[in-house]
Amino acid sequence: MKRRKSLLLLMVVFLILAACGGNEGASKDKSESESTGVNVNTTGMPIVDEQIDMTIFANKPAQNEDNDWNDILIWNHYRDLTNINADWNLHHPDALEEKRNLALGSGELPDAFYLSQLTNADLLKYGGQGTFLPLNDLIDEYAPNLTELMENDPSIRKAITFPDGNIYSMPSLIEEDFLSLRLSARPWINEDWLEELDMDIPETTGEFYEYLKAVKELDPAGDGKTIPYGGTDIIELVQWLSGSFGVMNHGPSNTNIDLDPADPSKVRFYATTDEYKQLLEFIHMLYDESLIEQNIFSIEWGQFLANAADNLYASMIFYDPIELFGEEVGSQYNSVAALEGPEGFKDYNKLSSSIWETSSFVITSENENPEAAVRWMDYFYSDEGAKLYYMGVEGESYEEKDGESVYMDHILNPEGDMTFEQALAKQLTWLGSISGIIKADFFQGGETAPQSMEAAEKIEAFVPEEIWPRFTFTEDENKVLESTGADVDKYVEEMRDKFISGDVDLSEWDNYVETIEQMGGLDELLGVYQGAFERYQEN
Amino acid sequence: MELQQEKKSLNKKSRTYAIKKSLLRNWQLYVFLLPALTYFFIFHYIPMYGVQIAFKDYFANLGISGSPWVGFEHFDRFFNSYYFWRLLKNTIILNAYGLLLFPLPIIFALSLNELRAGAFKKWSQTLTYAPHFISVVVVVGMLVAFLDPVTGLVNHAIRGLGFESISFLTSPDWFRHIYVWSGQWQTLGWSTIIYLAALAGVNPELHEAAKVDGATRLQRVLRINLPSIMPTIIILFILNMGNFMQIGFEKVLLMQNTLNSETSDIIQTFVYETGLLEGRYSFAAAIGLFESAINIVLLITVNQIARKVSENSLW
Amino acid sequence: MRNFSLSDQAFERINFIFVLMITLIIIYPLIFVISASISDPHAVNTGKMWLWPVDITFDGFIRVFKNKAIWVGYRNTIVYTLIGTCIHLFILLPCAYALSRKELIAKQFFLWFVLFTMLFNGGLIPTYLVVKGLGMVNTMWAIVIPGVIGAWSILVARSFFQQTIPDQLVEASKIDGASDFYLFIKIVLPLSLPIIAVMALFHAVALWNQYFNALIYLSDEKLFPLQLILRQILIVNEVSADSAASAAGSAQSFADQVKTASLVKYAVIIVSALPLLIVYPFLQRFFVKGVLIGSVKE
Repeated sequence: MKRRKSLLLLMVVFLILAACGGNEGASKDKSESESTGVNVNTTGMPIVDEQIDMTIFANKPAQNEDNDWNDILIWNHYRDLTNINADWNLHHPDALEEKRNLALGSGELPDAFYLSQLTNADLLKYGGQGTFLPLNDLIDEYAPNLTELMENDPSIRKAITFPDGNIYSMPSLIEEDFLSLRLSARPWINEDWLEELDMDIPETTGEFYEYLKAVKELDPAGDGKTIPYGGTDIIELVQWLSGSFGVMNHGPSNTNIDLDPADPSKVRFYATTDEYKQLLEFIHMLYDESLIEQNIFSIEWGQFLANAADNLYASMIFYDPIELFGEEVGSQYNSVAALEGPEGFKDYNKLSSSIWETSSFVITSENENPEAAVRWMDYFYSDEGAKLYYMGVEGESYEEKDGESVYMDHILNPEGDMTFEQALAKQLTWLGSISGIIKADFFQGGETAPQSMEAAEKIEAFVPEEIWPRFTFTEDENKVLESTGADVDKYVEEMRDKFISGDVDLSEWDNYVETIEQMGGLDELLGVYQGAFERYQEN
Repeated sequence: MELQQEKKSLNKKSRTYAIKKSLLRNWQLYVFLLPALTYFFIFHYIPMYGVQIAFKDYFANLGISGSPWVGFEHFDRFFNSYYFWRLLKNTIILNAYGLLLFPLPIIFALSLNELRAGAFKKWSQTLTYAPHFISVVVVVGMLVAFLDPVTGLVNHAIRGLGFESISFLTSPDWFRHIYVWSGQWQTLGWSTIIYLAALAGVNPELHEAAKVDGATRLQRVLRINLPSIMPTIIILFILNMGNFMQIGFEKVLLMQNTLNSETSDIIQTFVYETGLLEGRYSFAAAIGLFESAINIVLLITVNQIARKVSENSLW
Repeated sequence: MRNFSLSDQAFERINFIFVLMITLIIIYPLIFVISASISDPHAVNTGKMWLWPVDITFDGFIRVFKNKAIWVGYRNTIVYTLIGTCIHLFILLPCAYALSRKELIAKQFFLWFVLFTMLFNGGLIPTYLVVKGLGMVNTMWAIVIPGVIGAWSILVARSFFQQTIPDQLVEASKIDGASDFYLFIKIVLPLSLPIIAVMALFHAVALWNQYFNALIYLSDEKLFPLQLILRQILIVNEVSADSAASAAGSAQSFADQVKTASLVKYAVIIVSALPLLIVYPFLQRFFVKGVLIGSVKE
């Protein structure tokens, strides 16, 4: 009998445990806690006179794996400057989502989320619940730097304002004029081989085609190894040439959607247009004649880099060649801007919006000093802040040379077999964690290398006036995007590659269009984007 | 002794009494069960309330219990997806193909078992077991290296024989073969282990008797060894059914590209792409539940069949 | 006493050739891994290295072993594996044995109680909360206890017990007055060495290779198992390569990571798998024929 009793006892214990387990959701949604806490200075540093702590949940990107942000140059310096002690709660990217959900649900909400891969849908969801604070007023009052940026570039405010009128996050931005960074991978062409062929840098799609054909014939790499065009992914080529065929005219942020050239009050689903069809026909022709690397649909980065190092590519879309392949190979490349297509389009549409990420910094209801938190983040939208974030502290991580800020020698030429990135990550944290605003003056990556800057200058003339950020959507609209939208996007992408590779013949085009219509791509999905676009215009 | 007396008086007593008696007499068996049942209760049954998330819209801040109900919305979305039938078909075919190779480790184990003990046996056993420890990332990396249309060894050989290169990696026709056979390469030796253990339990007397009757080696393998491990084979097959819908999707994901997705798109990769990446916990949970439902039906069906045709079954 | 008839000789030869062929097919990629681990990654990536090492370099191994955390990782993993496997057997074997016995009342219920956990699970978050509630987070127990047994191993072990432990043996011993404890320890376990070895091996390998629990439950780096450390050395999570590549300013660092990854990824495999490869031949002695016969006769 004793045994039974103890068994019974055990069961009771379990049941209690189970009950506790079930209770996990009861997060302490604190009643509006604004304007409690300490006095916040509205201008100047420090932000608060008496030191306060702020727990921040953040993703720890792979590049920063070995370093503790709680004791690192930049954050130590910023703590001393602001009197706000950031208590970093760092999480491995592989477990980030689980940890974030646990943090949201466990009642141990951090004071802020920093670059935690919160999607727009998440912001709306938890913002609407009061877990994330609406920041509109706080930004107006305590974020002069961000406010100024938003006044200069209204698309920033539009991109972070949700259909409920609220702003729930402070974004990561790229200085609008820092085109080189917004371009990411850009087209390059081997100039030595051009000269050998007695050709000029192509200006039209036709000339580009002629070059690819000629260089294949010439085979400068020998043994038939020359690859006329190569890249890590076919999408780079598609996006580049989209400007030559008149699609994706407002950038790639809203998949398959651009502005209807016939009616500027309407968005267009361009993946079913004739222009897009012509684009695919052209690229298919290149692929079919083996002018595009035949394994481009399955190539791995390691393979691509090895081929590039062997100097096999006659043209490619990639990052700075000298930085990545070294002087000898890299210096052979010159940049190409936009190509003029058969219908006369000559735009360069492959560039990201200046809003890099919406949810860079999110303040939770647990935060007792939201004003201080907003000011803490706002600093990074200023010149000094951007400099601190991307360059660090003068004399510690960078120095002034000929009026320019450059990293110090122990970062540029680190001891032993440490790489530049590893040395950098010992003091600064921006690698893989783009935040605040990136300014060309205070940023030293492949994008500010001379070759890349020159490319950006060339391209500038062909960049469309407005590049849309990702629109914001209502909860109902998100549901359509997640179901119909996901299916349509997947189908379009798959068929794009099949048309290009020839796995599906372009004579099947009508079927393709019809299928998209059946899936609801042209009414339901387009309707969602149209609504979002109209709100975007109004904001 | 006491036990014997109990046994004598057993049939006179009522059924409940018999049960009580049995419980008392075999109480130690229940003690044996206790640690495992406790473990399952705490670490599986207490968290089981999480299953409801499939019928809810998950709000992390409200917790699983506090999130609002949405009924079958996630299931509807999945079933109505344009890709539903393709996903289902690909998942089933890929698994069924893998299942076709179920006998291979058995054959290999029977073979290994017939080898004379010695260095060769030890080496072949250890070498075939080794691939199990190679991570899928590296396995796929090697597949890409071997099968690359330009630099790959296999295509070098194909061209050497005067044929055209085959783009194995982007071909929907080749995907399943590559996936399944590379998997077989990785697990063949590993899967034989359990059969080798079963073969260790074969009664040598049976072999002695068969030898006297003049049976050949092959006959003895087929008539003694194989039937002896049949129960193990059947149990493993049934248990396989319980995991039928779950594939190691990481490898599929790594091997997948837009050109082969016609056959490589499976439910798990779909969930990964459209679910977890966008934080749709509930959607993923709903699909998981759907898979479990298929698994459970398969498990019960196969178990019933096994019970009818052989004497072995799980229950 | 081997029967040397002609057909048996032929059988032996064919069988030998069959095993040899399979071994050879399997061995090639293994050689590739070893060669690649000491070759220049450039040669590997361009397909110049296809069998023997090209441009030999030990940088991959040097990079792996230069990381001091790796030795702590080794120690942790060995501790977790040993302790975890012992607990695994301690819970698994009695349970499987009990389920194999006819006398067990409500066997169907117990079976389904176990089987059900294979088919449904509550998901990561509820499980985390249980582990946390038990105070296991950031301790060794979070690695060792969740997942310590599974339905699969219980049901397989049970089926072995059903086959290798004859009912007559159990009944006879019971009539002789043996308790279940005595029977289990003195008779059942010694008769079941092959399956015990298999179960121990399966669980040990699973524990050795797993990193996700560590990722979720551990934050103290001193507790990190080997696999987590190796992943950090490898850095690039190749599944998400596309999204990593798009991070501004880090194409260069990403390219660096790709190069590091191709340098160390093969070395990492060898470093992590070698101990298990060494252990296996010692376990093979448990798969010797005829363990059963002597004891049954007695």
